[in-house]
Amino acid sequence: MPVLSVTELCKRYRNGTLANDRISLAVEPGEVYGLLGPNGAGKTTLVRQVLGLLKPTSGSIHVDGVDVVADPGYARRTIGFLPQGMMTQETIHVDEWIYGIGKLRGLPGAEAHQRTNELIEQLDLGPFRKTKMAAASGGVRRLAGFATAVVGGARFLVLDEPTNDIDPVRRQLLWNLLMAQRQRGTTVLLVTHNLAEAERVIDRFAIVDQGRILREGTPAALRSLVTERLRLELTMAGAFEPHPALQPDEGMPGSFLFQPSDLASVSAWLQAQREAGRLLDFRIGPPTLDDIYTHTVGGTKSNGAAAVLGAAK
Amino acid sequence: MTFLRQYRDLVQLSWRSYRDFALMIGIVNIGFGVGLVLGFGYVIPDIPEATAMFLVTGAATQMIVTVGIVGLPQVIAQAKNEGRLDYYFTLPISREAYLLAQVTFVLMQSLPALALALVFGAWNYGFSLDMDPLIVLVVPLGVLSLAGLGVAVAVISPHVQLTNAFTQLAIFYVLFFAPVILPKEQLPLVLRHVADFLPPTYVADGIRATTTNLPDTHVWRSMAAMAGFGVGSFALAAAAVRRRG
Repeated sequence: MPVLSVTELCKRYRNGTLANDRISLAVEPGEVYGLLGPNGAGKTTLVRQVLGLLKPTSGSIHVDGVDVVADPGYARRTIGFLPQGMMTQETIHVDEWIYGIGKLRGLPGAEAHQRTNELIEQLDLGPFRKTKMAAASGGVRRLAGFATAVVGGARFLVLDEPTNDIDPVRRQLLWNLLMAQRQRGTTVLLVTHNLAEAERVIDRFAIVDQGRILREGTPAALRSLVTERLRLELTMAGAFEPHPALQPDEGMPGSFLFQPSDLASVSAWLQAQREAGRLLDFRIGPPTLDDIYTHTVGGTKSNGAAAVLGAAK
Repeated sequence: MTFLRQYRDLVQLSWRSYRDFALMIGIVNIGFGVGLVLGFGYVIPDIPEATAMFLVTGAATQMIVTVGIVGLPQVIAQAKNEGRLDYYFTLPISREAYLLAQVTFVLMQSLPALALALVFGAWNYGFSLDMDPLIVLVVPLGVLSLAGLGVAVAVISPHVQLTNAFTQLAIFYVLFFAPVILPKEQLPLVLRHVADFLPPTYVADGIRATTTNLPDTHVWRSMAAMAGFGVGSFALAAAAVRRRG
């Protein structure tokens, strides 16, 4: 049975805006499910309905098979939530905040203390334990917020942009902790714009725009929809003449696309550039979620997406 | 038991979240209460004792009313504006416990001011307080009789400025058009009838009945009325916070 099952969900606000238009999705136990989409796509509206903050216009939402539209209390008892907005909790200390939410999630005092200490250690928040939330950096607040989502041992997490403002080292700690949670069977609905990071952790994802799911699947399956070409990202010292097989990706300066069959000759060209002292850095990889996302939603990177898509055709 | 434990934890969380400001607000409230009492002496020199009692207890009532329809709506409106209200409502807690915790937190910031306004007023105008132990029920009942209305306005109001405008209007009414600072007999007939249907009238009556020996006060009647308003207004507030858009 899916942990989260959303069927034909519609939400129309009183001003007439159709924020969710017949959305259907299912998140399986232990899965990290990404919800991607531009601002105003309807992701937050969907999340707010799952959490019981909004009532759907039509359609159904089930968590563990329980109809949470009729029983929103079940969603609150089951889901650990990290909101996107940075709530200011003013003078409360980081450890007091995690501990307090742990208690509100039903942990006895001693257990809430223990879990708080564990999370502070796992997220490297020790130096900020007694920092007031209002005085903490955005990253520390975000990590403390993440800790409050997991402190109660929720089996289902809804995380809205969890890594915003977090430095790379602690971001990795957060992902590691999330992966450990998943290995224990925790299910995650991850709302994010950070596609590069999401790609490393999500099992499946949906791209949402204008209230609808445009694409759904695994990153690998969706990547194959876009192109088979490889992407080369180059940092060169000054002007250079690119290899004939390299086609510039106009949407991403310094980025080129080429066929896998040209990999050997492109590698030789890169070696020659390095020996000539022109090559500072390079990276070769498959198309990213960014490519899939841009191709699906359209938008500001449409030139690059068109280049990628063109190769696929 | 769960409700009480959540209520206690929520009061603790509110206190820890705003302890520095709570102290400052408490001090400002003391200045407000004592200043109001002191100011009456400048407006009316050589105040007769009964008038002084009426005005001082009116100032104390004003403190209670302020908790319910100014302090509380502002706390809730701010929480709503910053997304905290929604966040708390995603937790497995009773929303009524959350509301009651906020009422308690705001009241904690006003209790010292309320007590000092009474004590300072009695000392300054040379009368004795005639304290009834029922004051410990009158004060929370007085706050609760108004709190629900304040919460409902804060939750339903689409903008924090609209909430503030309402609270100012409510204070304006209590200061000049209700039998709180002014004797009922001085109000126009229509306002006397309006006053019968609004909580501040009974809060003032209850405070006077439990702190002074002023005639024509009714402790049980005022408590019953405040309890009635409290149940009604809390039901209104509970409905407002249970509403899903």
